[in-house]
Amino acid sequence: MGSRSKGLQTRQGGRSGPRVDSEMAITSRGSTDADGLSRRTFLRGTGGALAIATVSPAEAARAATGQTAAGAATRAGDVPRTSIQLTVNGTRHRVEVEDRWTLVELLRDHLRLTGTKIGCDRGECGACTVLMDGRAVYSCSQLATWVDGRDITTVEGLERDGELSPLQQAFVDGNGPQCGFCTSGQLMSATAVLAGNATPTREEIQQGMTGNLCRCSNYNALVEAVEAVGGSVVGDAAADDGGTGISKLATVGPPTARVDAVERVTGRATYSGDVTLPGMIYGRVLRSPHPHARIRRIDVSRAEALPGVTTVITHERAPIVWGAGSVAGGRQYNDRVKAITTQRRHLFNNPVRFVGDPVAAVAAVDRHVAEAALGLIEVDYEPLPFVLESEAALAPDAPKVWPEGNLSPDVDNRHEPMVTTLGDVDAGFAEADQVFEDRYSTAFVHDAQMERRTCLAHWEGDKLTLYTPTQGISNCRHDTARDLGMPDDQVRVVCKFMGGGFGNKNQNQDADLIAAILARRAGAPVALELSRNEDWLGVHGRWPTVQYYRVGVKNDGVVTAIDLRGYSGMGGYRKNSGGISGIELYGCPNVRREVSPVYTNRTTSGNFRAPTYPQGFFGIQSMMDDVADKMGIDPVEFVLKNAQRPGGTIDYTNYTLDECIREAARQFDWTRRWRSPAGSDVGPVKRGAGMSFMLFRSAVGRSSAIIRVDSREQYTLFVGVTDIGGGAKTTMGMIAAEALGVPLSQVEVVSGDTDRCPFSVGESGARTTVMTGTAVVEAARDLRGQLAERGMPTGPNVLIASATPDPSTGGKVRNCFGAHFVEVKVDTALGHVRITKYVAVHESGRIINHQTAKDQIRGAVIQGIGQALHEDLLYDPRNGQPLTPGFYGARHMTHLDAPDIETTFLETDDGYGPFGGKYVGESGIVLAPAAVGNAIFNAIGRRMKDLPITRDKIIEALA
Amino acid sequence: MKRLRNANARTLGEAVALARRARDDGARASYAGGGSDLLGMVKERIEEPDLVVSLKTVVGHDQVETTGDGVRIGGLITLDTLSRHQLVRDRFAVLAQAADTVATPQIRNVGTLAGNVSQRPWCWYYRRGFDCYKAGGTQCFSATGENQFHAIFGGGPSYIVHPSDIAVALVALDATFRLTGPSEDRSVPAAQFFVLPSANPARENVLREDELLVGVGLPVPATGARSAYHKVMDRESWTHAVVSAAVVLDLAGEVCRGARIVLGGVAPTPWRVPAAEQILIGNRVTAALAARAADVAIEGARPLSKNGYKVALTKGVVERTLVDLLPT
Repeated sequence: MGSRSKGLQTRQGGRSGPRVDSEMAITSRGSTDADGLSRRTFLRGTGGALAIATVSPAEAARAATGQTAAGAATRAGDVPRTSIQLTVNGTRHRVEVEDRWTLVELLRDHLRLTGTKIGCDRGECGACTVLMDGRAVYSCSQLATWVDGRDITTVEGLERDGELSPLQQAFVDGNGPQCGFCTSGQLMSATAVLAGNATPTREEIQQGMTGNLCRCSNYNALVEAVEAVGGSVVGDAAADDGGTGISKLATVGPPTARVDAVERVTGRATYSGDVTLPGMIYGRVLRSPHPHARIRRIDVSRAEALPGVTTVITHERAPIVWGAGSVAGGRQYNDRVKAITTQRRHLFNNPVRFVGDPVAAVAAVDRHVAEAALGLIEVDYEPLPFVLESEAALAPDAPKVWPEGNLSPDVDNRHEPMVTTLGDVDAGFAEADQVFEDRYSTAFVHDAQMERRTCLAHWEGDKLTLYTPTQGISNCRHDTARDLGMPDDQVRVVCKFMGGGFGNKNQNQDADLIAAILARRAGAPVALELSRNEDWLGVHGRWPTVQYYRVGVKNDGVVTAIDLRGYSGMGGYRKNSGGISGIELYGCPNVRREVSPVYTNRTTSGNFRAPTYPQGFFGIQSMMDDVADKMGIDPVEFVLKNAQRPGGTIDYTNYTLDECIREAARQFDWTRRWRSPAGSDVGPVKRGAGMSFMLFRSAVGRSSAIIRVDSREQYTLFVGVTDIGGGAKTTMGMIAAEALGVPLSQVEVVSGDTDRCPFSVGESGARTTVMTGTAVVEAARDLRGQLAERGMPTGPNVLIASATPDPSTGGKVRNCFGAHFVEVKVDTALGHVRITKYVAVHESGRIINHQTAKDQIRGAVIQGIGQALHEDLLYDPRNGQPLTPGFYGARHMTHLDAPDIETTFLETDDGYGPFGGKYVGESGIVLAPAAVGNAIFNAIGRRMKDLPITRDKIIEALA
Repeated sequence: MKRLRNANARTLGEAVALARRARDDGARASYAGGGSDLLGMVKERIEEPDLVVSLKTVVGHDQVETTGDGVRIGGLITLDTLSRHQLVRDRFAVLAQAADTVATPQIRNVGTLAGNVSQRPWCWYYRRGFDCYKAGGTQCFSATGENQFHAIFGGGPSYIVHPSDIAVALVALDATFRLTGPSEDRSVPAAQFFVLPSANPARENVLREDELLVGVGLPVPATGARSAYHKVMDRESWTHAVVSAAVVLDLAGEVCRGARIVLGGVAPTPWRVPAAEQILIGNRVTAALAARAADVAIEGARPLSKNGYKVALTKGVVERTLVDLLPT
C-alpha cells in the first residue's frame, strides 16, 4: 500500500489536488521561448554568466534569456500585475508589482531595502515590521498592491541627514541589538510608540512593542533603550559590581557599544539573506510529509518542465553524505569516525525518518516558481511504522528508525547507553538513611533563532563561496569541503552578520550542501531558503529528556548516592551528544549515570545553548530541592552542604560558589521570600521562592588570531569568529586594544570570512571569549615585541603577528559559578505563573564588556524561562505529525512576558583566559528552568516534574 | 505564493459583485479586510483564492455612530481604532477590552472587526492542513486526539473553539449583525449569527457565499451597566484565548438587574451561560454569589481527553471577572 503525495507543500488528504492541477494547467503552456530554448537549458549551457543587474535578480535572469518581464508573464500564463505608487522613506516610487508580492518582498527584493527582515513570513514574529502611514504593520502580511498610495517608513528611513534618530542612538548606546535580526522591527515599533506618547511608562513600551519577538530575548535592554529616549530614569548600564575589586584595565571592562552597532540599527548590516549576486536564482527543498517512509519512486519530470525551473535534485541524483548531520557519540566528525560508524545521513535520505526530512530540491528563476515546482514533484511513499517517544522506542517490538535498532551507537559504533560512574553507588545507597526516587521530563525546545537558515552558493570555476549564517566559518568550510570531496582552500565561507544560532548553526548544514550542488548544476548562484516551518522541522532543537533519579541521603542531609537513568530523544539522526549534565554539581562520591540517546521519528535534536545542561539541571536540582523539602532542610543550606567542592581529586583555578549563593540570597532576601512550608500562602494567589546554582565549564583551548599594524598605527585584528549576538567582534577588539595598549578606535576587527580569517573553534559552547581571546592576547604580545624591536612600520610596510596558542590549566579545573534566585506569583484559580523577582549572580572571571555580558545573562535567562513555562513541539501520536512548529505554536516569551533580570557579576582574575575572562554566553539559560521550577513548588506546594510547566499542568496539579 | 489577482472594491456592493462574478467564472475569491490572517492562510495553502477582493479601498463602514436606538459600528473599523474609541471604552468597555487583547499592535492596526468575527478556527489540525470538517472533510482529528485547546461545551462533530474575542463581546452586548450579499441585506442577532457544528460542521457562522458583515448595532446600554472582558492566554500577549469571559452587569448599587455572561475559548461559538446569569439577577452580587454563578457556569461541561483543566479554569475566569466588576 502506498501513498502518492507531493511532500509538505500540499494538504493532507489531497484537499488541494484539483487546485494544484489548475495551476499546473496554466503553467505548462509556453515552456520554451521563440528560439526553442527553454530558460532552463540556456542557463545550464552558459554557466549562468549574466550581466550585472540593476533590477531584481529574477528580472535579470529573464532579461538574459531575451524575455522581458511582460513577455515572461505572458508566456508563463499571465501572472497578474498592478502598477502602484508608493512613498518609501520620503521617496516616491512607481513600480509594477505582481499582485501576490508581499510588501516585504517589494521592499527587500525589488527596492533593495534589505534592512527589513523576514523572520517567519506569517505575522508571528514582527521582524518585518515597518510603518505604514505612521502605524506599525507586518510587511510580510500585507500585499504590496494594498499599499498603493501609502507612505512607508523602514529602518533605512529613520536617519535624518546621516544622523541616527535618538532611538537608534539609544540602541547603539544601550546594546539594543544582540544578533540584530529583530532590531529593525523593534526600532519601527518603538518609533511608533514614542510618536504616540513621548514619555511612555515601561508597561506602555512593552505593550507597544509586544508584537516584536526577540529570540536573543534582549527585552530588558530594548525597553531600557526606549526609556532612555522617553525620559525615564535609567539605571547604570553596567550590572551591579559585586565589589570584589580586581584591577581596573584601560579598555576591557566598562560597558562598551558594539563596534558594528551602527550597521545593526540602520539596516546596513548584511546578513546572508541580504546578499545578492548577478544571475542568482532561488532554491527550495521538498520534505517528507510522513514520519517514516520508504520512497519507492520520485518523478520530477513535471517539475523540470515548469518554465523557470533550472535544476531538480533527489537522493538518486545527489547521494551526498552530510557528515555533520549525524555523528556517532556526538564527536566532531572525522575520518576515524567515518570509518567506524555505519549510519550515514545523506542530504536526501531513503527511508525518510521524520516529517520534514528532505526529499528533493529545486532551483528556479524566482521563489514563486520554485515553490510551484515543489508541488509538481511526485513522490510515491510507502509509509512505515513510526515511534515518537524514547522509552517506547527502546521496547523490543518498537518500529526501527535504523535497522541496527533505536539506541544510537557511540563513536566506537557500540549500541550502548553512555555510562559514567564514580565510587560505588550501591554502597552509597546502603549507607543512606533515606532513598528518594522520582521521574522528571523536559520537552523538545527549538533554538528558534530569528534568522532562518539560508545559503547563497556561488561557484567561480572550481572555487565555491557560501554566504551562509554559521557559527563557525572554519568548521563550515571544512565540513563542506569534506562532504563535497574538495580541498578546504577551494571553499570560502562568508558570514558577516548572523541572526542568531544558539547552536543550530554550528558546522555546516544540509542547506549549504544543497545550495552548492544546485548552483553547480544550474550554473548560477543559488539562494536556498528555508521557510520558518522548514527551519523548525528541518534543522534542530534541544533534545527532550526523561530522567529517573534515585538519591540516597543521610539524615543530616548529606547525599551519599545519586543514580540517573536518562533517555534523550535524538530524532531520526544523531546530530549531537544527547548527554544530560547536572550530577557533577554535587560532591556526592557515589554516582551512576546512564543516558540512552534514542532515535525517534521526530525532528532532529541537536545543540541549543548549553546543550546538555538546562534539561539536566532542571531534573537534578528539582529532585534535590524535593529531597530537601521532604527532609525539612532549607534548599540553600542543602546546596551548600552538597555542592561539589575543591579538594579530593579536583583542584580548581578558583572557586566562588559560596560567594555567588550568598550574594544572590542577600540581594533576593531569601529568608523573607522563601515559604515554609511550601504552598502556605493563604488565598488563591500564592508566592514562593526557589533557587538554582552552577559550577559550569570554562575551559581554555586552542584558537587563532592574527594582528597587523600599518604605518598609520592602525591595527587590524583577524579572527575566525562570527558574531552570533554575543558581541564577539567587540569583545575581541577590546581584548586586542587592551593587550596592545591602544584605544579601541585604533583596532579594526575583520571576521566572518575564511579567505581572510584564521581558524576559530566556532562560536558555540560560550568559548569564544576565552579561546579566541587568549589567541588575541598572544598575538598582541608578539606584535608588541616586534614593535619594540623594529619600531612602527613606515610607508607600505606592515608588521604581522599570528598566534595559535593551545593553553592548558595544568590539570586544574576551570569553572565559572553562579546562583539564581527567583520569586513567582501563582494565581491558582487560573493556573497563571508570573515571575515577580529574578536575581542572577555570576562569577565569570573578568568581564570583558559589562554591557554585552549582562545582556547575555538576561537574554539567556528569559530563554530559559520560556523553556520552563511555554515551549515545546507537540506531535500527534496517531500520525506522527508535528502540530505546533513556529513562533505562535511554541509560545515564546514576548516583551510583556519578560521580567526584569537583576544581574550581578562577581569579578575575579584566576590568571587564565584573556585577562581572566571566563565563559558567559550559556550561563544564564542553564539555571533558569531549575530555579523557576523550584519557585513554583515553593508557591503551590506541588512539584512540577515535566517541562514546560504550562497552565493546564498547574491546574491539574492543584485539582 | 500561488498566483492571484487583487481587485480593489470601492463599495461593499462592488466587493460582493466582484466576488460573485469570480465565482460564476469558476474561480475562488476571498475578501481581505486587514488581510493578515488571509495571507497567512494563502501561504499555507489553506485558502487558495484566485481573486482577492480588497476591502481596504472601501469608503466608509469604519466608524462608530450614535443612532436613535444605540450605536452602529462599521465592520471595517480597525481593532486599534475600536479599542481606543472613547465612546466604546466608556459605554461598551467589554468590546474595547476585547479588541485590545487581540494579537499585537501590528495586527490590530490593520485587522477589522468584521474580519476578526469571521476568522476561521485556529485549531492546529485545521491550520496544519488536515482534511477535517472545517476544511470540508468528514472527521475531526481533535475529538480523540490532541484536544488541549478544544471545546468543553457545544462540541461535536467538530470540537473547535471560536477564535474571536470580538465575537464573544458582541454576543454579551446583544449586538445585531448587519450583512450584505448578492441577493439581499439582512440583520441577524449575534446569538443567531454563530453556528454550532451539530448544525453545520463546515461553518462557524451563517454568512452565505459572498456575504459580508457590514457592521454591528449595539443597543443602548442600561444606565447601571458595567462590563469587562477577561482573556486567559498561555503567554502575556499574542495568543488566542484559552478561556475568556465577557460579562455585562446592570447594577443598581450592588443589586443586579441584568446580566449577560458569555464565554470564549470553550465552544465552537461564543457560549452564553444564562443559568449563571440567573443566579445573579435580582440579587446582591457578592463574592460568594459570584462563586456560585461560576459553579453554575460550568455545569454540563463535557471535557475531552486533554482539556479537563478548562472546566476549573472557566469557573475561575467567570468568578474573577464578576468579582473584578463589583463596585468597590
